[in-house]
Amino acid sequence: MNPIVSCTLLITLGLGTTITFASSHWFLAWMGLEINTLAILPLMAQHHHPRATEATLKYFLTQATAASTLLFATTTNAWLNGQWDIQHMTHPLPITLFTIALALKIGLAPLHIWLPEVLQGLDLVTGLIMSTWQKLAPFALLLQIYPANSTLLIMLGLASTLIGGWGGLNQTQLRKILAYSSIAHLGWMILVLQFSPALTLLTLFLYIIMTFSTFLVFHLNNATNINTLATTWTKTPALTALTPLLLLSLGGLPPLSGFMPKWLILQELTKQDLALTATLAALTALLSLYFYLRLSYALALTMFPNNPSGTSPWRLQSPQIMYPLALSITAALTLLPLTPTVTALMMP
Amino acid sequence: MTPTHFAFSAAFILGLAGLAFHRTHLLSALLCLEGMMLSLFIALSLWTLQLDSTNLSASPMLLLAFSACEASTGLALLVATTRTHGTDRLQSLNLLQC
Amino acid sequence: MTYIMSLFLFGLVLGLVAVASNPSPYFAALGLVVVAGLGCGILVGHGGHFLSLILFLIYLGGMLVVFAYSAALAAEPYPESWGSRPVMVYILAYVVGVVMVSGQFWGGWYETSWVPVDELGELSVLRGDSGGVALMYAGGGGMLVISAWVLLLTLFVVLELTRGLSRGALRAV
Repeated sequence: MNPIVSCTLLITLGLGTTITFASSHWFLAWMGLEINTLAILPLMAQHHHPRATEATLKYFLTQATAASTLLFATTTNAWLNGQWDIQHMTHPLPITLFTIALALKIGLAPLHIWLPEVLQGLDLVTGLIMSTWQKLAPFALLLQIYPANSTLLIMLGLASTLIGGWGGLNQTQLRKILAYSSIAHLGWMILVLQFSPALTLLTLFLYIIMTFSTFLVFHLNNATNINTLATTWTKTPALTALTPLLLLSLGGLPPLSGFMPKWLILQELTKQDLALTATLAALTALLSLYFYLRLSYALALTMFPNNPSGTSPWRLQSPQIMYPLALSITAALTLLPLTPTVTALMMP
Repeated sequence: MTPTHFAFSAAFILGLAGLAFHRTHLLSALLCLEGMMLSLFIALSLWTLQLDSTNLSASPMLLLAFSACEASTGLALLVATTRTHGTDRLQSLNLLQC
Repeated sequence: MTYIMSLFLFGLVLGLVAVASNPSPYFAALGLVVVAGLGCGILVGHGGHFLSLILFLIYLGGMLVVFAYSAALAAEPYPESWGSRPVMVYILAYVVGVVMVSGQFWGGWYETSWVPVDELGELSVLRGDSGGVALMYAGGGGMLVISAWVLLLTLFVVLELTRGLSRGALRAV
């Protein structure tokens, strides 16, 4: 793709999200989402092989459906209340419709089928954009709905954590595993959305840091399935030592920063007298932990049969820029001691 | 709920159901999307007309511009998938399952 | 007038049933053309002449022509119209669904709820919708710029998605 065109598309991608952030009127928010969808389509299909085209088509169909359902919900709201402001949703029917539309847009559990397939068809950099930047605009809208439909949100959240763990169990493709991990993390965010929006934002932030570093590590090693992971120690030994920790941080194990959002969310749910929901969510996180552990095992504890010349590529300098990865992987591993500061900042 | 409100809501939900349930051809899925956008256009126009709100009567036209963009992108994807898959049947889009 | 408007609304729903019931694409395109025409009628009945003209020119004249053209290219040897059995089953299911849901609201509808608002108003030179267009050009600069940018972007998107000489059906991936 021509660099000018791809630069234009990336700028427009940013413009769409920014419009959604800045809007207080539903119509403008919808326009931002549409711009976002339109701008990423050529980036997804840039290699033009059949899988990329198919993934683009599936993404287009789901996003167009979700966006028009969103606009239908807001039009219904306007017919019932005469209001177009995002903050003034009061009727339960538009709120439910709107939540379902956004769940389809970000891929929450009963409406998640498209996400693993779409991510499987993309290259890792576009997949990175898809699973981080594309989630921001819908979340900006979800955070602004005040009288949320609480049963629906809890059901969506629990189903997402369960299916996100369950679906990833039998996968050998890294991008599908990452898609299911994304579904599970989004489930945690939705679970706590109505009780503490600030906590949702924190979880989203940490999820973006961790997913960013995971995608970059896989991109660096050119790895798209589990077998390839077993040869990464010949390419980047230091990174191979850090990557299992990163995966366990995604799984939410205690000394790493991925534990912080899960801990705070479980605490908040218990405070709201939802002990059963908290228990179920914690149990479904074990399912996700299983496949993170399997990836770590393949990365760190297996020796792939290799010829002697195959074990030496770590001497070569990688042409890629390493600073963003270094920063994000440090943040993804060591942010847990900041928990008291974060809680003090979030909950005054 | 007035009859007008019911009519366009029913039209939208029918379009959504047609898109969601059984589609043989990609083209008919795109036509269902167009039907949904058409019912939204009618809904927005009737809203501005009934309230006589001059400020918001630009919004149906903006909606129409955006739905034209969506339609043309959909048709471009139709061309692209026909090139890569050789057909526009939705059943043949199964390369990514496993 | 009330009678015609209710007929139009009825036709709108029935037309969407015809589109959604999974016939061959050119029958679906025909159904959508009918729906767009009825939509123009509804808008005129409510006093939105300019919006109706926009719908007719842009939607029916611009977009649906392209769709009908694509449908004609995708011709198939055994087309399924609304008479064939699987389509008939869908039509029946959708019609029964709509009738059942409208039965829920039937009690709340009375004679005057079918009357378009415009019939109760007076004759005036400046209509709301054409005034709104003037207002859009006068004060809606940002929205116009965004829409124009999106239309330009769509041109790039379409070109990027469909371009390429070497991208036929047979080639190395």
